[in-house]
Amino acid sequence: MAAEEQEHSGSPPEGGGPEAAEQPTAKAPPTTGRSEEPMIGAAAIAEALAAGGELHATEIAPGTPNAIEFRDVHKAFGSNRVLRGLNMSLPEGHISMIIGPSGTGKSVCIKHIVGLLYPDAGDVLVQGVSVPSLPDDELFAMRRRFGVLFQDGALFGSLNLYDNVAFPLRQHTEKGEDEIAEIVNRRLREVGLGGEGHKMPNELSGGMRKRAGFARALVLEPQILLFDEPDSGIDPVRTALLCELIKEVHSENGGTYVVITHDILSARRIASYLVLLWQGKVVEQGPAQQLFASEHPFTSQFLAGNPKGPLTMD
Amino acid sequence: MAAVSTGQIEEQEPFAGAGAQGGVERAFGPLRAALEETGDIMILTGRTIVSALRPPYPYGEELVSQFLFVLRLAWLPLMVTTFALNYGAPGIQAANILQLIGATDRLGGFFVLASLREIGPLITGTVIAGVAGTAITADLGARKIREELDALQVLGVDPVKNLVVPRFLSLMLVTALFDIYAVIFGVFGGLLAGILYGVPLGEFWSTFFANVETTDLWGSVLKTAIFGAIIAIVCCYKGMTASGGAEGVGRAVNEAVVTTLLLTGAVNYVFTQVLLATHPNLLVIKG
Repeated sequence: MAAEEQEHSGSPPEGGGPEAAEQPTAKAPPTTGRSEEPMIGAAAIAEALAAGGELHATEIAPGTPNAIEFRDVHKAFGSNRVLRGLNMSLPEGHISMIIGPSGTGKSVCIKHIVGLLYPDAGDVLVQGVSVPSLPDDELFAMRRRFGVLFQDGALFGSLNLYDNVAFPLRQHTEKGEDEIAEIVNRRLREVGLGGEGHKMPNELSGGMRKRAGFARALVLEPQILLFDEPDSGIDPVRTALLCELIKEVHSENGGTYVVITHDILSARRIASYLVLLWQGKVVEQGPAQQLFASEHPFTSQFLAGNPKGPLTMD
Repeated sequence: MAAVSTGQIEEQEPFAGAGAQGGVERAFGPLRAALEETGDIMILTGRTIVSALRPPYPYGEELVSQFLFVLRLAWLPLMVTTFALNYGAPGIQAANILQLIGATDRLGGFFVLASLREIGPLITGTVIAGVAGTAITADLGARKIREELDALQVLGVDPVKNLVVPRFLSLMLVTALFDIYAVIFGVFGGLLAGILYGVPLGEFWSTFFANVETTDLWGSVLKTAIFGAIIAIVCCYKGMTASGGAEGVGRAVNEAVVTTLLLTGAVNYVFTQVLLATHPNLLVIKG
């Protein structure tokens, strides 16, 4: 596996197309757009994969307030009960990760946090405010505190990259076009897409769309940033690069980041706090170091990627 | 905050009476789904009307672009369909029967009923549903699948105000205008059939204008505007609730057209009956 990754990332495929623009070469550094920054090398990725990833968790100080709280949340779609009494708390100012097997209700959590879905029972609190009980006007106002990176970037197909990133600024601020251009170009450079603003979303690769979505989510400098499976559909190298980017932007801007994933390596790389979901409930939650050391049968099986344990194909 | 907390992993608990519940669900599930969908469409209609009237009005540009979009797509199919259908069905066939009883001059009067009252609005509704309604559902459905609609909402943009309202208003306006256009080409279709059967133009126009009333015209235009509203609401609803990837968008388009045609037919019947009942002079054959 490690050798395979090394080989793949060490010799990027030749040729044009949107993917080519994303290759991690010295010519087009995709991480930050700053050429002096060291790239994440293939060897580092291979090493991380072989070692199961190195933990990068930061300490969560005791008494840190909760940015987001789920209190006994139930949600069903028809006869499919997705959330079954979910209780979780995510700390303010840290990168939290909600991990769990596919189809266990992780993405549904994000939609509850931003008020796109309402719980059948229970409550969702964001910075102490109950989201389901907010009237429409206040909900729209509250959403300004959020930035969301959807699975495929969710860029508006009819707008180019620049206009996509400028959209929230034009929608919510009175800034002039010069100021908007300065912010948009800075954010695009930050995610390694400087100079690509004229491209339409369908001209971009999956990884580029995600990074553009990240830039759009950042422009209003939100207090809470939500990532819906940022690693889905992209290769391990680009996943690593995206994780680095998330970590770097968080260390520069601060705020509460919530990342939904089922990729354990990503969890090891950037999570300070982990919530493990299964069957619509929390199996275990806590600081990342403690969860990775957990002896809970499901936690240890899932975090080790072990086929033997309570989680089966059924 | 720093402590690890664990929850219980529970097996899927058996549900008492699950078998009976499943049977009831299978029997009444589709009915319940249809009722829920009807309710959702009515709620969307209400929200659209309120949203259209309540400031701010950010949808001007989208309204104009949708209006021009439908105009560009529909003018030719509508012209060809109305002309051919009116020439063929009420034109040649009615002239054939009228010739038997020596009353071909009545063809003009008949076209008030055929083209202005029924075929004009129905063909306009059908063509706009097929040409513009499907495009609306496919467009919104694709945006829904790509999570663009969720992104809009998270960015504080109300999809009803910014996407549904402009389509609702532009389709009402464009179908009402297209109705007049369809009636003109329909009547010309009838006129051509009349010429084919040797009806003098003077007799055709004489019986046409003797029977046509202003009520016929505004009734026809109003009915078509209602068709436009139905097409916009149903097609937007189906697009915005599409699920299941590309296949789901295809399914949504199909359902949107079927629902629109059913509702158009039902509203056409009710509207015409109410119009005739409230304006009995329309039933009198004159001249």
